[in-house]
Amino acid sequence: MISSLSFINQKGEILIYRVYKDDISRNEITQFCAKMIATKENKEFPIINIDQTSFIHISIKDIIILATTKTDVNVAMVLEFLYQLSKICKSYFQGNLDENCIKKSFVLIYEILDEVLDYGIPQIADPNLLQKFIQEGGVQQETTINIEKLRQLTFTLTGVVSWRPIGLYYEKNELYLDIIESVNLLISAKDTVLRAEVVGSIELKSKLTGMPECQIGMNDKLLMGKQQKQTKQTIGISIDDMKFHPCVRLPKFDKDRTITFIPPDGHCQLISYRISENINIPFKVNVFYSEIIDNKLEIRLKIKSIYDNNIYGTNVLVKVPVPKNTVNAITATALGKARYEVEEQSVIWRIKKFQGDFETSLRCEINLGTTNKDQVWSKPPLKMEFQIPMFTASGLRVRFLKVMEKAGYKTNKWIRYLTKGGEYLHRL
Amino acid sequence: MAYFGNNQQRGELQELFADLNDLNFEKKKEAIKKVIAYMTVGKDVSQLFQSVIKCLEFQDIEMKKLIYLYIVNYSRQKPDDAIMVIQNFRKDVRKSENPLVRALAIRTFGCLRVPKLNEYLIEPLKDCIQDDDPYVRKTAVLCVPKVFEVSPELCPALLELLQKLLEKESNALVLANLIQSMREIEVVNGKQLILMNPKIIQKLLLAIDECMEWGQIFILDYLATYDPVESKQAEIIIERTLPRLSHINPTVTFCAVKLILKYLDHLDNGDLVKNLCKKISPSLISLLSWNQPEIQYTILRNISLILQKFPILFENEVKVFFCSFNEPYYIKYEKLDIMVRICDSKNFNQVLNELMIYLNEADPHFVRKTIKSIGKIAIMYDKALSEAVQILVEFAKNVQQANEPVQELFIQMQILYRKNRNLYKTNDSLKILFNILEYANEPEAKSACAWIVGEFAEFIPKSVDKMKEYIDNFLIEDRLVQLQLLTSGVKLYIKYPSLCSALIQQLINSAKDSFNPDVRDRTYIYWRLLSTDPEIVKNLVCSVPANSSQFQKDIRLWETKDLIIALENMGSISNLFHKLPNQLYKNIKIRNNHQQEAKIYKADEKQDIPQKEQEIKKEDQNQQIQQQPKQDFDLLNFDEPVSKSNNNKIDVYDLI
Repeated sequence: MISSLSFINQKGEILIYRVYKDDISRNEITQFCAKMIATKENKEFPIINIDQTSFIHISIKDIIILATTKTDVNVAMVLEFLYQLSKICKSYFQGNLDENCIKKSFVLIYEILDEVLDYGIPQIADPNLLQKFIQEGGVQQETTINIEKLRQLTFTLTGVVSWRPIGLYYEKNELYLDIIESVNLLISAKDTVLRAEVVGSIELKSKLTGMPECQIGMNDKLLMGKQQKQTKQTIGISIDDMKFHPCVRLPKFDKDRTITFIPPDGHCQLISYRISENINIPFKVNVFYSEIIDNKLEIRLKIKSIYDNNIYGTNVLVKVPVPKNTVNAITATALGKARYEVEEQSVIWRIKKFQGDFETSLRCEINLGTTNKDQVWSKPPLKMEFQIPMFTASGLRVRFLKVMEKAGYKTNKWIRYLTKGGEYLHRL
Repeated sequence: MAYFGNNQQRGELQELFADLNDLNFEKKKEAIKKVIAYMTVGKDVSQLFQSVIKCLEFQDIEMKKLIYLYIVNYSRQKPDDAIMVIQNFRKDVRKSENPLVRALAIRTFGCLRVPKLNEYLIEPLKDCIQDDDPYVRKTAVLCVPKVFEVSPELCPALLELLQKLLEKESNALVLANLIQSMREIEVVNGKQLILMNPKIIQKLLLAIDECMEWGQIFILDYLATYDPVESKQAEIIIERTLPRLSHINPTVTFCAVKLILKYLDHLDNGDLVKNLCKKISPSLISLLSWNQPEIQYTILRNISLILQKFPILFENEVKVFFCSFNEPYYIKYEKLDIMVRICDSKNFNQVLNELMIYLNEADPHFVRKTIKSIGKIAIMYDKALSEAVQILVEFAKNVQQANEPVQELFIQMQILYRKNRNLYKTNDSLKILFNILEYANEPEAKSACAWIVGEFAEFIPKSVDKMKEYIDNFLIEDRLVQLQLLTSGVKLYIKYPSLCSALIQQLINSAKDSFNPDVRDRTYIYWRLLSTDPEIVKNLVCSVPANSSQFQKDIRLWETKDLIIALENMGSISNLFHKLPNQLYKNIKIRNNHQQEAKIYKADEKQDIPQKEQEIKKEDQNQQIQQQPKQDFDLLNFDEPVSKSNNNKIDVYDLI
């Protein structure tokens, strides 16, 4: 399996280095680092094989996490492990992972590395679990001395419900659900939809006592069809594929599509899903580029929102690409602000609030500088970003969420919907 | 704290030494942290070994971990000093009530890797394998391969213990680690250690539901190497694996796919196979749009393998492989490859339209690949030919400089012209190409240009001038270009004998001085042929071949016989590089597969079509032809030795 793990900074210096198997030398790593720094492009492949040694790495901002191996391991597993490792580190450093916190807390990282891999074989990689017995500056004395508590801990670590410790108690039992969808859209220059897809996730934040048994139901077509109660509201949507957090009972889902689980304490991504049928595209864009005459280019843009007029899109951003030799841009719009931003090579149009069922337009006059070569400008696609609360592009709705616990308490539940622009692209 | 101090002086080591031996606990702890920091940046702190291990007497668990880390790093340099630690380890393993401490000790103990220390390890290890606490048990189980690697002679009893544990272990996590650990030993040992029986399979299947993600991967991965004895058994295992397709960890999903795809061969219910394929397909496609590009990449690399055996999985799904603007290029390359593979007579239009967009991308290498892909598709489908040429000609109109894509443009246009000579009429393609001939600078592209000039001389104005230009620089050209120039020059001479007489003299004069024997040979052949009977040369060089049928669709990446082995290793490093494990790793032996050929699962028929050995051979030959279609009339297979023609030197002026 994995022979060694290292954290490397941008300059190619090794910040953390941990060996799990004997078959690799530090020299090989340093050589690889030098090589990687020399060819710094996004082209570089995530996996390189030199003389039967494989170097597998991911980059988290400026930090490179590198695993090496000499055996024929499953690459996807190593990569997924590295990503989870980065998540673990972030959970310890309040969401950051940079050179400073690594240097500051290297002792902690070595402790983590000791636990997540054994002989290069992935072990515990759940941040919540690790927090229970690895903490900055040592764990509280109580846990290390109380043998009963330790038993409980190892039982949780190796048990069936490893994601949830025993004996949790909350004064108020609360449950928050966030349904977040991002729309990936690709529209051709001829205005036909090449690809429309929603990648969504259901995030769960729970503060629940004991070992609650939960069940969640959505307007899933396959499930709704089975229940035979066909009213006009029960026409469900078809979901291409769903992936679940380890806490969800997969065999049960496979059998009758019900989603049951014992939630982990705190925050988790419960479900991620993909839908490609009947997507409600939230914005319709019309764009027109004039011919370039006398170093002038005119761009006209019309955007119409296609959702109910009682909901609002927020932080709408339209990136309108302009040629490289743009000098300035004169923009005119009734809504929001638009200006030319050099580093983006685009006119950026920002609209704070965009009402549903509303149309607005933008007119830009671009002044171009003279270039010695009149190269043809290949236009990158127009990109949109936005957030629309209380709207789902797929039409997905959570129908119910049941919480059952033997204590029989009442749970307060909150639910939010949000649709975001993912790769929302118009080719020009 | 001085982490990453640049200049470590001798004084610092001494200071550390003093601190380590200080009575103050906090001071000791700080000192040990510093030692580890030095170790991390690669400085040698092994001199401090004795002082460091003295600190083990404290029960502080954080400090213990650091000291263990240090010991693991330096135990091989100081085996004699390391013996002193043994007592501490044994005490921790046997006496400590804290399961974490017991596990920590046994884990570190295994990492010492000093042969002479291992004998002290065996007894405590045996105890730990039978420990009450599952956490200690799983750690002990993983310790066995560590010991086995260094001192296999000590292990027979341990291996037996493992085998017994496999029978009776009830904790899913321990079981999963046990399987993985035994597999590691099998790799080193070369002998089968895990003895499969229906009961164990049953147990493993149950454990999948109960253990955490990595454990699921170990078990699925192991089961994927197993050959089910009958259809019913395969069906049961698949049934238990199916739910894993919905797991959030992409590797779990992927391992499940691997297992199911393998077991499909063992099913005899055709409808079931079809249904399963329907379930696998959306799951795989989700992995392709995974938000981590590295994982996407590994999946994409494996898709080409899956595609060869299971074209059915990606029927009508070509859109999934469309590149998005901001993706890293290593992903775009893969997608491009797959798009060509997946392209068929129904969707080639869609694919070509998409590829046309990519021609505007900034990365020259990617554009080059796109042009090549367009060429490939045109070769495979006659109907796509004219559209592909249109796209390429449109691209050629905008060419303004010599760059990578232009080179490929010439190469592909040449191939397309060869496929269908009449194409030169479409869209003034010849004229447009002729205007940018100067941009060809790679040998292959240049030779393509030379071919075009010779072949279509009568439709290109000033073709003779152009040829003259080429011939002026004949001797500095690459061998490939020289050969082509020779043939093209002769063609031109046949077409315009009077106009080109000076030209052909100059050509033969330069060519006979070429450094390359092939070029010289061919020069003499043409020379003698021209001097005896130009008519033969005409038939030879200017004959228009019938539309060649040698260009065929061939997306095979693997030999059919290797397919099964490759599929069994799906997801592995070797597979990622499109190799068999034994091609990448010298020490790996691949399992004998009993089946000779792989079944192919297509969409139209549910039944497999085993390909016959002969067909494959034929295809291979075709492939070879396809690879070098440029050397059109290779006349080099003459038995006559070169020297002979050298002796009969004819003056070039005799000829004309």
